[in-house]
Amino acid sequence: MRRKRSRKKHYYASKPLTGWMFLMPQLLFFAVFTIYPVFEGLRISLFHTTYTSEIFVGFQNYVELFQDSLFITAVKNTLFLTVVVVPATLLLGLFISIAVFDKSHKYISTIRSLYYLPVIVSNTVMAMVWNFLLNPASGLINYLIGSAGGQTVNLLGSRKYVLWIIAFVTIIASVGQNIIMYVAAMIGIPGDLFDAAKVDGASKRSWSFHIVIPLVKPTTLYLAVINTISILKLFVIIQLLTDGGPNNASVTMMYYLYQNAFVYDKTNIAAAIGVLMLSLSIFLVLPQFKALSNPED
Amino acid sequence: MKRRWRRRKKAELPDRIANMVVVFLAVLNLFPFYWMITSSFKTSAGIFKMPPDWFPTTFYFQNYVDLFTGQPIVRWAVNSIIVALGTTILVIICSTMAAYAISMLQFPGKKIVFGVVIFSLMIPKEIFIVPLFEIVQTFRWSDNYLGMILPNVATCFGVFLMKGFFDSVPESLREAAKLDGANEFVIFYRIILPVVKPGIGALFILNFVQVWNNYLWQMLIARSKEMMTLQVGIASLMMDINPNFAYKMAGAVIAALPMLIMFIFFQKYFTKGITVGSVKG
Repeated sequence: MRRKRSRKKHYYASKPLTGWMFLMPQLLFFAVFTIYPVFEGLRISLFHTTYTSEIFVGFQNYVELFQDSLFITAVKNTLFLTVVVVPATLLLGLFISIAVFDKSHKYISTIRSLYYLPVIVSNTVMAMVWNFLLNPASGLINYLIGSAGGQTVNLLGSRKYVLWIIAFVTIIASVGQNIIMYVAAMIGIPGDLFDAAKVDGASKRSWSFHIVIPLVKPTTLYLAVINTISILKLFVIIQLLTDGGPNNASVTMMYYLYQNAFVYDKTNIAAAIGVLMLSLSIFLVLPQFKALSNPED
Repeated sequence: MKRRWRRRKKAELPDRIANMVVVFLAVLNLFPFYWMITSSFKTSAGIFKMPPDWFPTTFYFQNYVDLFTGQPIVRWAVNSIIVALGTTILVIICSTMAAYAISMLQFPGKKIVFGVVIFSLMIPKEIFIVPLFEIVQTFRWSDNYLGMILPNVATCFGVFLMKGFFDSVPESLREAAKLDGANEFVIFYRIILPVVKPGIGALFILNFVQVWNNYLWQMLIARSKEMMTLQVGIASLMMDINPNFAYKMAGAVIAALPMLIMFIFFQKYFTKGITVGSVKG
């Protein structure tokens, strides 16, 4: 891992304007496609828009949302996925990384690539393949369950299992990212930190718990945040696996936002969901923001 | 220097078991891809065969022929290239310039700017689709490359990634050029930029893949079949009523292949970019 050098810079005579000039292009895009949408989203969420008029309704859209049982379901589903997927990908990533990080370079990079494959081929492809594997007519999973003597079920059409299936596919599709980060962090641990453990003849399990896991804590925190955020924005896996079904059992906040905006034509409601999700992300990102802004903590 | 530390020549038993599990899971992880590829060479009837053919018996290419004749696959791929390349080039220009300013220049308000960059780093763009879509419609960029490219240029990831690379450029390089009387843009372009080439490489690949694999936004912008990107087009096959999974898997193979090839060739850049651009020590 890199450590930021705390050197004094001279900033050899650059005029204040020069800095801003170099920032200009980025700033322009950022203002139009990030800053403006935040405020415009907030504005839309406070109005009721029809084809002919736009009426200010205050927090009416938010009130409506919290009385909407489908939205409550969407919040619960998002929460469920977060609670299942985030710890699972972190633990799995940690387990795999600890197992491999002290092996040969070739082995590490092979394992890392194999687990990174789903990330590379995209969630779209992953969702398609798993849709195929899970479909009741020609899917392999049902065949395997059936030949193992189990009761065949349409897993994607079952309210009971559908969220677990989405969680499972999401875990497979995202663990590779965590492994890359963890392995890099672990390889970066200076060897002499292990020397004491080496002298004591402690087992790998013991020094993993006492040295490795505490030392990669910043990585864990960072990954916890980005994994949570990626659950928040999860879209294509849901669209291609279940389309929110059966009976809206797998609708998440992001999916409900999309449906309101582009299926039900309720732009104002969709904007309100966006504002709520933005607040949620800010809340999640805040601790990470502090950590990233002061590298010497 | 950091040195890799190896405990013993021979791993302990729990460690060996753990590694066996890891390898087993990795192979299991490959299976869906194996199944996707072999199924894409089956007939629509062959897909339903139970017990299934675990190993391919015949190679039936018709699914691929049907895809290329029945769908504008080549056009989709070209769209993907245009969108991914266009976005990435703009991202590289904007973020290297911004990162250079933040890392190597001194100006008032710099701390705030960097704070904003860090803060928006992890806020997902997807939650702004309503206002963003409104902007796109105002400019009449719907069903248009501009609508697919421009909103995606506003990413702070590139700034953050490149700042890491600029931070490691020695200050003396700039000072020397400054003493020689070179102007600011020449210093940036001729002297500093060549030093951070590896960073630009990493950013190029990561951003290219990210845009290539983007789904939601491109799907919203592409109204006509001709304007779809590869991911969106292939996914639209999936949502067809057509139950022929062999055909759909052929599509999935085509969607997966370009980035897979890219990954095989540029693996180092991937791991480097992902780790450098994400976490602090």
